[in-house]
Amino acid sequence: MIYYGRSVRARGYYCLSALGLIICLMLVSACTPREAANQGATREITDDLGRRVSIPAKVDRVISLAPNLTEIVFAVGAGDRLVGRTSYCDYPPEAKAIPVVSDTLHPNLERIIALKPQVVLVSTASQLEVFTQQLKGQNIAAFVTDPHDLEGVFRSIDQIGEIVGEKDKANVLVQKLRERTNAVEQAVRDKQPVKVFYQASGEPLYTAGHDSYITDLMRRAGGASVTADVPGAWPKFSNESALAARPEAIILPTGGSMGAANANVAEALRQSPAVLQGRVYKINDDHLSRPGPRLVDGLEEMARALHPDAFGT
Amino acid sequence: MAAALLLAIVLMSLLGSEPLPVRASLCALASFGTNACGLTQDQFDILFQIRLPRILLAAAVGGSLATAGAGYQALLRNPLAEPYLLGISNGAAVGTMIALVFFGAIEWTRPILAFSGALLATLAVYRLARGRAGATPERLILAGVIVTTFLSSVIVFVTVLMDATRIRSFTFWLLGDLSGASKTLLPVTIVIAIAGALALTLHARSLNLLMLGERDAFDLGVEVGRVRIVVFLVASLLVGSSVAASGSVGYVGLVVPHLARLSLGSDNRITIPAAALGGALFVIVADTVARTVIAPRELPVGAITALIGAPLFIYLLRRA
Repeated sequence: MIYYGRSVRARGYYCLSALGLIICLMLVSACTPREAANQGATREITDDLGRRVSIPAKVDRVISLAPNLTEIVFAVGAGDRLVGRTSYCDYPPEAKAIPVVSDTLHPNLERIIALKPQVVLVSTASQLEVFTQQLKGQNIAAFVTDPHDLEGVFRSIDQIGEIVGEKDKANVLVQKLRERTNAVEQAVRDKQPVKVFYQASGEPLYTAGHDSYITDLMRRAGGASVTADVPGAWPKFSNESALAARPEAIILPTGGSMGAANANVAEALRQSPAVLQGRVYKINDDHLSRPGPRLVDGLEEMARALHPDAFGT
Repeated sequence: MAAALLLAIVLMSLLGSEPLPVRASLCALASFGTNACGLTQDQFDILFQIRLPRILLAAAVGGSLATAGAGYQALLRNPLAEPYLLGISNGAAVGTMIALVFFGAIEWTRPILAFSGALLATLAVYRLARGRAGATPERLILAGVIVTTFLSSVIVFVTVLMDATRIRSFTFWLLGDLSGASKTLLPVTIVIAIAGALALTLHARSLNLLMLGERDAFDLGVEVGRVRIVVFLVASLLVGSSVAASGSVGYVGLVVPHLARLSLGSDNRITIPAAALGGALFVIVADTVARTVIAPRELPVGAITALIGAPLFIYLLRRA
């Protein structure tokens, strides 16, 4: 057994009591009522977790914790009200001028509080149960989005427009996006759906499952996801089931934020009809992995890839 | 036991997320893939390109980890000595991560850097543990815990720095994932597993004597220093190759050698080869569960080995 001498032990006690004091001070300061950041008139908006979130009547300080939400804020014309973003939020280019509050998965609470936001926009992708609780304690509204289909993305746009007081601009934007979506659906309406496999990552193999908006997007683009019934949004998928599914087309989200990653078809799919017929399509992952306005770009690109004849190209 | 292993390889290759005709599959397996026996091309590919390589990888990884565990436990005379507890696996994981981040496309850098990482971790543990009185088993374990936690932080640090799209696949790999049975790495992993088990079995006599205590072993003519270096090198190689191929499959190096000793006694000439075969068997079964229980989705095999391993271990300890 290791024996510590008397002086070492005494020093240990000093350190311990100092530590205890610091903890006490922290607790006291944490429990002191804060000046409420959100005062005055509020309204309630229900978020995608079904929580009724109380939002100040006028919002001019917003933090976005996901790239798709940053894109939505800018698209509804409220980029000037964005006071914090994540390191992944790189679009539109103007977004890069906004202070970073760390990445999507590890938000820095101190920096967020220091920026005095009224609303923090969160995506469920970041699994921030505890975090939203902490924001609530700071009297900062945390609004959570979790779209499972294109309609859900439109709803996010409408809700964020409402939050930042740009309801009309949001309506116009959604209207335009709907028109483009309808045009795509019209164009592929009479086409035989193509059996598609969405390779979110090749090694290990991940795909889009039942709960992913990608499954809905593929259907609208004239495709039928071979993994449409797999539970979950982004399941780790069996190599042999991928082989047995015999997809006629494979979509590789790559080339955007992913860089050169995911540019190759997984080994299990190398002999699939899709590969043999040269029907592997690379689509900018930023258009597919960010459920915001540019998802409709992804939809158009996907539809053109699956049914080139329907678009006269 | 070798027969049981062979039987497991055949039986487990009949199970998977896609059902295959049993009789035709057995016939094709018996012909070593020279005869399709009426399997369709897809079924044949599933059996020979996906399932069988994965089962062989499971066997190699399980055998490697259990052999390494048995080696450490004999050398350090400590039943808790295990690649994970000593930080060797984490060293290998850091090496693999470096290979993935900097030389992602060049597969063979993974086992080499994993081996280097495992060896460096071993040396670090050994240097840390070496006091004036030599490296006592207690100090070794303590040093191992320190190196483990330190390297875990390095892993967390690198994961946080990595971009979000890769984190998910990385966390899965860290928990142990055999789905990436790569054609280039698989033969290497198998050869290292067999060679490592043979090398340690050849030193089993010395290890038996070492279990009496280093002093007595030395007096009985065992070159303690040399045996120690051999065990460290071989075990690092075993751990490095398996971590590079499959991430961190936990519990194998601890549970399997214990099982072997509890049922066959503590003669290393028997327990080391028995642990190698048992480890292979254990991971094959665990991985079959991992790839079938929520098919067509998959679980990381490390979760299954821990889930089976921990209760089994407790049961055995209570009975013994």
